[in-house]
Amino acid sequence: MTPRVEPLEEQIEALLAAPTFSLEPAAHTARLLAVLQGELAYAAERNDRLRRYFEAWPVDYREATTVADLPYLPVGAFKASPPLTLVTPEQIVHTLASSATTGQTPSRVALDAPTSRRMVKGVVAIVSNFIGPRRRPYLVVDVPETLSGLPQLGARAAAIQGLRAFATEIVCCLEAVRGGEPSLDETRLLDLAARWRDQEVLVYGFTYMIWQHLVMPLRERGVSLAMPNVRVLHSGGWKRLQARAVTPAKFAAGVSAVFGCDPGRVLDFYGMVENVGVIYPDCEHGNKHVPAFAAVVVRDPLTLQPVAAGQQGLVQVCSVLPTSFPGFLVLTDDIGEVVRYDGCGCGRRGIAFRFVKRIPQAEIRGCGNIETTRQRPASVAADV
Amino acid sequence: MARRLRAQARARELSPAQVIEILGRWGEALRGAEVDAIAGVPFLKLWLRRATLESIVIRELGAAGLQGAWREEGRAQLRAVALGLVGHWPAGNIEIQPLLSMCCALLGGNACLVRVPSGLEREIGVLIGRLAEVADGDVLLERISMASFAHERSDLQRAMAESVDGAMIWGGAEAVREIRALPFPDWARIAVFGPRLSVAAMDADSWSGGERENWCRRLARDVWQFDQQACSSPQTLFLERGATGDIAEFAARLAQALSREQELHPRRSMEPAQTSAICLARASWLLADGTRQALFPAMPDWTLLLGSGAAIPTPTQGRTLSVLLVEDLLEPIARFDGMVQTLGLASGAADRARALAEAAGRNGVDRIVPLGRMHVFGSPWDGMDLVRPMVRLVRHVPASVE
Repeated sequence: MTPRVEPLEEQIEALLAAPTFSLEPAAHTARLLAVLQGELAYAAERNDRLRRYFEAWPVDYREATTVADLPYLPVGAFKASPPLTLVTPEQIVHTLASSATTGQTPSRVALDAPTSRRMVKGVVAIVSNFIGPRRRPYLVVDVPETLSGLPQLGARAAAIQGLRAFATEIVCCLEAVRGGEPSLDETRLLDLAARWRDQEVLVYGFTYMIWQHLVMPLRERGVSLAMPNVRVLHSGGWKRLQARAVTPAKFAAGVSAVFGCDPGRVLDFYGMVENVGVIYPDCEHGNKHVPAFAAVVVRDPLTLQPVAAGQQGLVQVCSVLPTSFPGFLVLTDDIGEVVRYDGCGCGRRGIAFRFVKRIPQAEIRGCGNIETTRQRPASVAADV
Repeated sequence: MARRLRAQARARELSPAQVIEILGRWGEALRGAEVDAIAGVPFLKLWLRRATLESIVIRELGAAGLQGAWREEGRAQLRAVALGLVGHWPAGNIEIQPLLSMCCALLGGNACLVRVPSGLEREIGVLIGRLAEVADGDVLLERISMASFAHERSDLQRAMAESVDGAMIWGGAEAVREIRALPFPDWARIAVFGPRLSVAAMDADSWSGGERENWCRRLARDVWQFDQQACSSPQTLFLERGATGDIAEFAARLAQALSREQELHPRRSMEPAQTSAICLARASWLLADGTRQALFPAMPDWTLLLGSGAAIPTPTQGRTLSVLLVEDLLEPIARFDGMVQTLGLASGAADRARALAEAAGRNGVDRIVPLGRMHVFGSPWDGMDLVRPMVRLVRHVPASVE
C-alpha cells in the first residue's frame, strides 16, 4: 500500500511546532525515528532504486531501533543527474545547487512547495532561537543578481532567501562588476548604516564574501559603521579564508570592528543544500545544536558506528523536512566532533557538536590508484 | 650524502652472492612481536631467503652474475655493473615495499637512497633496525640511506632526483607523474612500477562447483591484503555464466570469506575519505541501475557490488569488489590493455586456463596467476626484471681477438 504523505505531513508539522531545542533527548529520538521510518517507506514507494538501496542495507529500516541504524545516503549521491527526486517534475518549484568548487559537480536537490515552505519554517525556528523572532532590516553582503528568481538557486541564494522571513526590507551592499569580483557599494552602505544605526539589523553573507568584500576594504580605510545592534550571520565554510590564515576568532574580531558591535553578535552557522531547512549556528559555548525536526550522528570512519563524546568522525545530518527529495539521512564529507550528548551550558538539549573540517583528500598512496582505465570499447575489443 | 653513498658503492664491490648472504641473515632476524605486527613481514622473510633471491639473480643476470663475474658471450665478455646510486620512491600503501625496492637495487651492487613514505617511518625503522643488527659494521649498511619528507617538499624531491643514477618509482598515477617530471640526470635509468590495477576471473565450474569455497577464501585474501590499494589487488571479479551457478549463493559465500578475513585481520585505522568513497560506491552502484545488487555490512569492512558486464568499473578500493557476470571470460579479457597488471584466475581445465592466459597476455596483462597468489612479489614484475634495470652490462672485448 502506498504510504500517504498526509500523515507524514502532520508528524513533520508537529516536530516543527515542538520546542526547537528543549525536547528530552530520548523522547526526541523516538519521535524522530518514527517519522524517518515513515519517510523512508514513502521514498521507497516512489523510487525503485532507493527501495533497492534500502533493501541492501544491513538493517531493515522498518525494524531499526535507533536513527543511527537507518539507511543513509552519502552526500555525493546528490550529484546524480537527473537529481534524486520523490515528486513529479511538475511539482518542483525550485532546484537548489550547492556551491561546488571549480571542476566539481554540484549537488542538486529538488524542492516542491511543501518542502520549500518547511525549509523556511525550519530556518525561522532555529534562527529565532538565537536572535529572536522580530523582523528587522536585512543587509545582504552579496550582489542583487544572486537573488534573481531563477528556478535553480545557488547555495548563497538559498541561504539568503532562508532568512527573508526576518526582514522588513532587504538591501544588498555589493555591486556586480562585469567580468570581475563584486565590489562594495560603500556610499549606499554608509547611508544604510546612518539610517539603521540604533536598530536591530540582520546581516548575512557567505563567510568569504563578508571578509573579502566588506571587512577588508572598510578596515583598510579605518571605517566603522557604528551599528552596535547588528546580528551578523555567516556560513559557507572557511576553506577560502584558511589560505589567508583567517581564523574564526580573527574573523569575528574583524567583523565586530567594522560594524562596531560585540564579537558575540557574529554567528557562524553550518548548513548544506542537501540538509535544507536545518542550519547549525554556534551557541555561546561554541557548540552546534540540533533542532526538534533533525538529528546529527557522528560516525567513526573505521566502523561507521556513532562515536563517543569527545571523539571525531564523519557527520551525518538527518532531517524530517524534505519530502520532495530523499534528504532525510545524509552522510556528509565533513568531520565533526561530539562535545557532549546532552547538557550544554547554553541550555539547549541533545547533542552538542562542532564542525572540525572537510574530509581531507585521501593521500594517493597506492600503486593501484589509476586515474583512468584504458579499456578498449567493445567495438574495438571485438576485433581483437 | 649522495656523493658519499655513490663512493661507497664504487670503493668496494659486493657481488650479488655477498648481498644475498647478508639479506638472508636479515630475513632470519625478522621475528618478534614488534616485527610480526607489520603487514607483509611473513612474505618479506620468505622473499629474503637465499633460494628466492638466487633464483631472481640467476634468471636476470645469469649464473656468473651471482658472483659478479664476467661471462663469455662469443668473443667478448659481459659483466653486470652497478649504476651507482639508486633512488627509490615507493608507494605508501605497502609497508614492506620500500625494502623490497631497496633490495632489488642492492642485489645489483648499488647504493640506495630511499624516500620512506609518510606514515611508514616507524615500520621501516623497526625492520631496517634488524638489518643494522645483523650487518653491523658491514659495508652493505654504508650503502643505504633513508629519507622521510613530505611529498610536497619539491626542493627535496628535486635534490634527490638530481643526485641519483637510477630510480625505482612505485605508485599511483598522480605520484608517478610527479616523480617522473623531476630533473633526473640524462643518464639516469628510470624504472616505473604502476599505476596498474588487477582483476580476478573465475570460470563457471570454479565459482559454482565444489571448490568454490576454497576459491572464495583465496580471493578474499587477495582482496584483503594491502587494503586493495596495490597494483596487484583485484578490483573486479568476472564470473563466467554457467548453467548451474547461482550468483546470490556464491556472493553469500564470498561475503563469508571476506567477513572471516575481517575477523583475522581487522583494520586498525581508516582514512575518512576512503570510508566516504566506500559509502558512495555502495549507493551509486544501486542508484545507477535497477538491476544491480550489493552486499555489505553496516561497517565499511568490505563491499560486494553485483551486476553484469565486461567493462571494469572505476575502482573504489578499500575492499570493494565489483562482481560481474559475463557470458565468456574472453569478453572482458579482450577489452584489457596495459592497465591490467595481474589476472587472478580460477579455472579448472588446464587448456582453458592457458587459452585465457594467452589472451590476457596479448591484451597487456603481465601476470596470470591462480587466485590467492596475486600479491606474490617476484621477477618479472609489471613485465620487467627487478635487478637488471639498475645495472649496466659492461662489454669487454679482449685485444687478442681484435
